[in-house]
Amino acid sequence: MRLSRRGLLRAGLASTAATALGGLASGCAVPTGSTGRNMVLWYWSGGLSDTVVKNAKARYDSSVDLDAIQIGGQYRSKLITTITGRAHIPDIAGLKGEDMAAYLPNADQFVDLRTLGAEKYKSRYLSWKWDQGIADDGTMVGFPIDCGPVAHYYQFEIFRRAGLPYEPDDVSKELNTWEKFFDAGVQLGKRVPGAKLLTDVNSVFENVVQQGTQRYVDKDRQFIGDQDHVRRAWALAVEAKRRGIVSDLVSGTPDQQSAVQDGKLPSQLNASWASFDIKNGVPKTKGRWRVAQMPVRPANNGGSFLSITKACREPEQAFEIITWILDAANQAQGYVDAGLFPSTPASYGLKQMQEPDEFFGGQVTTDVFGPAAQKIAVAYNSPFDIALGQPLKDEIKNVGVLGKDPKKAWSDAMSKCRRIAKHLGVSY
Amino acid sequence: MASIKESRTSIKGSRRRGIALHLPLIVSTLISAFPFYWAVIMSTHSSSEIFSYPPKLLPGTHFLENVRNLFDAVDFFGSMWNSLLVAVSVTFLVLLFDSLAAFVFAKFEFPGKGLLFGLLMLIFMVPAQLSVIPQFVVMAKIGWIGSMTALIVPAAANAFGIFWMRQYMKTAIHDELLDASRLDGANFLRQYWHVALPVVRPGLAFLGIFTFMGQWNDFAWPLIALTNPNNVTLQVALSQLNGTHGTTDYGIVMTGALLALIPLLIVFAIGAKQIIGDLAKGAVRG
Amino acid sequence: MAVLEQTPPAVTPQPAPTGPKKGLRKYWHLYAAISPFYLIFLGFGLFPVGFSLYLSFHRWDGLGSMEWAGLSQYQYLLSDSDFWNSIGNTVVIWALATFPMIFLAMVTAVMLNSAVRFKGLYRVAYFLPNVTSVVAIAIVFGSIFSTNAGMVNAVLNAVGIDQVAWLNTPWGIKVTIAALMTWQWTGYNAIIFLAGLQTIPGDLYEAARMDGAGPIQTFFRITLPLLRPTLLFVLVVSTVTGLQSFSEPQVLLQTSSNDSTFAGGPGHSGQTMVLYFFQQTFDNNDFGYGAAVAWGIFLVVVLFSIINWRLVQRRGD
Repeated sequence: MRLSRRGLLRAGLASTAATALGGLASGCAVPTGSTGRNMVLWYWSGGLSDTVVKNAKARYDSSVDLDAIQIGGQYRSKLITTITGRAHIPDIAGLKGEDMAAYLPNADQFVDLRTLGAEKYKSRYLSWKWDQGIADDGTMVGFPIDCGPVAHYYQFEIFRRAGLPYEPDDVSKELNTWEKFFDAGVQLGKRVPGAKLLTDVNSVFENVVQQGTQRYVDKDRQFIGDQDHVRRAWALAVEAKRRGIVSDLVSGTPDQQSAVQDGKLPSQLNASWASFDIKNGVPKTKGRWRVAQMPVRPANNGGSFLSITKACREPEQAFEIITWILDAANQAQGYVDAGLFPSTPASYGLKQMQEPDEFFGGQVTTDVFGPAAQKIAVAYNSPFDIALGQPLKDEIKNVGVLGKDPKKAWSDAMSKCRRIAKHLGVSY
Repeated sequence: MASIKESRTSIKGSRRRGIALHLPLIVSTLISAFPFYWAVIMSTHSSSEIFSYPPKLLPGTHFLENVRNLFDAVDFFGSMWNSLLVAVSVTFLVLLFDSLAAFVFAKFEFPGKGLLFGLLMLIFMVPAQLSVIPQFVVMAKIGWIGSMTALIVPAAANAFGIFWMRQYMKTAIHDELLDASRLDGANFLRQYWHVALPVVRPGLAFLGIFTFMGQWNDFAWPLIALTNPNNVTLQVALSQLNGTHGTTDYGIVMTGALLALIPLLIVFAIGAKQIIGDLAKGAVRG
Repeated sequence: MAVLEQTPPAVTPQPAPTGPKKGLRKYWHLYAAISPFYLIFLGFGLFPVGFSLYLSFHRWDGLGSMEWAGLSQYQYLLSDSDFWNSIGNTVVIWALATFPMIFLAMVTAVMLNSAVRFKGLYRVAYFLPNVTSVVAIAIVFGSIFSTNAGMVNAVLNAVGIDQVAWLNTPWGIKVTIAALMTWQWTGYNAIIFLAGLQTIPGDLYEAARMDGAGPIQTFFRITLPLLRPTLLFVLVVSTVTGLQSFSEPQVLLQTSSNDSTFAGGPGHSGQTMVLYFFQQTFDNNDFGYGAAVAWGIFLVVVLFSIINWRLVQRRGD
C-alpha cells in the first residue's frame, strides 16, 4: 500500500475538521465549575470503596449529581494545577496522607470543616488521625478516611522451626523490645541457614521514627533530625546491620519475593494495607502468615482524607455526603473492598472485619490492627519533613546496602541536612 | 558489516553471505521481540500468577478474563477513538507544517535564517517538564481544557520534526531539481508540492510514524488537560487502572497496554513500507 | 494556503543569497512557511517558559503565595552536590547508552538496506522495543538483571564469573539503565539511518564499484559522508532526549511504595537530572528551586548539543 498525498491530505483535513468542531462543541458543554446541582468528587483508584461511592451517588440522587472521578497518575500535581489555575477544581477532593503536611499550610484553599459542624463527629474517629487533618491555625482541612497501623507480619512455621515464639499473642508479648526482636533475628539466622529477619535497615529506621511523636522538623521550623529520637532510630538500624539480621535485597524485587516465598525472609514490619501486597506478590505463601504487634509500640504508615475546596458552592451538602461515605459501616466496607483500615473504631467490631482470614491461617487480623490503630502517637508533620528526612533515609540505606561506614554516613547526612535546612529557611 | 555493493550486484547472493547477514539480524530480532512476548505472557495471566516465582514462561489462560475486566473498568473504544482523532490530526498537521518549514530551512536563504533556526533548536532543548501549571492557565483562559483541541493545537508543529526534515531534505532534494523547476516557472508552493514532497516520502513516513506514536503514548499533559473522565485519551483511561497500596492488577494493565499497541503496529506496517522502498526505484526521480 | 498559491513566480527567490535586497517583503512566503512553529510557541510555549524563569527567582510551595528569592536558588544550585551528582549520573548513563546504540543502529541499517529477505519482519521486530510500555520493559529488565534469579547473572555464573548485584551497586545501576535504553532505542535509530541511506543515489555505489572500491572503502567514502546530516540529527536528538531521561531509572529503581520514586536507587546512583527536578518539585514542594534546576538542565543540554554539533559538523554537512 502506498500513501497518496491527496488521500492523506483528505483524511487529515477531515479528521482535523471533525476534531475542531468536536472541540468547540464540547468546549461549550464543559462546566466551568460546580453548578450546585452537580458535585464533583476526586479520588484515586483504591482511595475509596467503589461500592460506597456508588451507594452515595444513589442515596443523594434527589439533591445532587455526584460525579465521582478516579484520577490516574500524579494525583497531587493535578489537584494543585487546577487549584492554582483556578479552573475545573473539584468540590470534594481526596488528600493523600503523605501530602497532608504540604496542604495544611495552604488551609485557605479549603473550607474549614469546623464551620460545617465537624466537631460533633470527632468522638467517633481516632483522635490522632483526626488531629492530622487540622492545620496549625486550627482550620480543619481533612476528614479522616483510613489509617495504616504497622504490625509484625511473620511466617508461623519458620518461627517455630527457629525455636522462636510462634503464636501471635506470644510473639507480641515476647518480641516487645527492639533488643529482643534483634536477638530473635540472630537466633533465626542460626537455626534456619540463610534466613534474615528483615529486608533492609530502612524498615528499622523509619518505623522507629514513626513510633515517636517527633519527625525531622518541629512546629517552630527548627531542624530536629539531629536529636535523640532520630539518633536512637539510627543506632538501632546500624545495630540491625551489625548483627546481620537484614538481607542485602531490595524490597519489591523478584529476588526479595522469592526469598519471602522460600521462607528466607519470614518476617516484616508493615502497615495493614501491606497484606494486599503480600497476597498479590507471593500468593503461594497462603496460610503461612500471622500478624502480631510490632516491638515497643505501633507506628502509622499512610492513610488519607477527604476535603471540601473553596470552589464548592454547596459545602453543607458536600459535608453531608462526606460524613456518610466515611461513617463506621461504610469504612468497614472500604476495608473489605480496598483494604482501607478504618479510622472509626466502631467499625472494628462489625461483622465484615471479624471474618477469619485464611491467608493468615484463620487469624482475625483486626484483633491486631484494631488495638494498634488506637495506640498510635500524635506526631507533628512538617511540610519540610520530606526534604529533611530524605538525606537520613538515603544515608542509612547506604550503610545497609553499600556497606558505608555508619559514622561517615551520619556526618554526611548531617552536612546535607544543614545545607538543605539553610536553603529552605529551616533553622538548624 | 554487510556489503552494499555486493548486495546490489549479485541478486541471488551466496548462501554463506545470506547466513552471515541473517544470523545477526535474527538474534537481534529475538532480543527485540522478547519484551513483547513478555507482555503477552503477562496479559494472559492473573495478577497473582505474574508475580509468582519462578516467572511464567508460557502464555496462560486468563486473557479473555483480563479483556473482560478491562472493558468493564474503562471505556476502551471511546477513549481509543479520542486517541485516534488526536493522533491523526496532529500527525497530519505536523507533516504539513514541519515539512514546509524544513523545506525553507534546507533549501532557501533569507535574512535571519541562522537566528531563527538557532532559536528553534534552543526551544527544542527546553525541558518538557518545565511547567504544566502556566500551560493549564493559558488553556483554561481560552476554554480548551477538557477538549481534544488542547492536545492538538500545541502539538501541531514541533522542532524535532523540522530539524529531522531539514537534515533529510539536505541530501534528498537535489539543487538541480529545484533549479530546473524554477526555470519551468514553478512557484514556491509548486516546488514544495511537486518537487520536494515526492522525494522526501521516506522521511515523511518516519516523521509520521513517530509523531503518531508520540501522540498515542503521550500521557503527562493529556492527564492534566482532560478533566472530563468520560472524554479522555486511551493512555489516560488506562492510567486509571493503576491503584495505590499494591492493588494494581498487572494482568489487566498489561492487557490494556497490549491492546493499545495494535493501532501503532498497523500505522507502522503502513508507514515502514514507505521508508524501505525498492532500491530499484531509488530516492531520486527524474 | 490559498494566498500562498497566488505567489507570482517572479518573486521566487534564488536558492542562493544573491542580488540586491528589496526588503524583507521579498521573502514573505518563506517566513509564512516557517511561521506555524513560532506562532504556536508564542501562543503556548512562551508564557510557560517565562513563568518558570520568573518562578526560579522565587520560593513557592505550589499553592500558597510566592516569595521573592533573588538569585539564591541559583546560588544554591551551584553548591548543590546532589545536583552535580545527577549531572554526572546522566552523562555517564547517556554515554554508556548512546555510543553502542548509534553503532548498532548503523550496522543494522546497513544490513537492512542491502537486499535482504524478510525485511518486513525485521522492521516490525526492531520497532517493538520502542512501542512496548516502559513499565513493562522495566519489569522485564528488573527480572533479567536481578541478583539471584536473573538471566544475566546465570550466564555470568555459567562462564565462571562472579555474579553482580546489578541493581544494588552504583555501576550496576548505571549499566542496567543504559542497557535498557540502548535496547529500546537501537531499532528506532536504525530506522532513521535507513531512511537516510535511502536518499543516497544508487549510481554513486555503482561508480565506486567501477573504481574498484571494497565494501569498507565504500562505506567510509560514500555512505558515511552522505549520512552525515542524519548522523548529526541522531546525535543531537539522542543528546537532547538522553540527557532528559527519567522514566527508565524511575520505573526500574522504584521499589516499595514508601520510597521516593525519584531517588534513583542506593546512593542516588541512578538519579538523573530530570529525576532530581521531580524530586525537588514534587517530593519537596520546592517549585522555585525546581524551576532553577530545570534551567540548569537546559544549560547542560545546550552545552552538550553544541559540542556534539561541532564534532559532527566539523567537515561541513
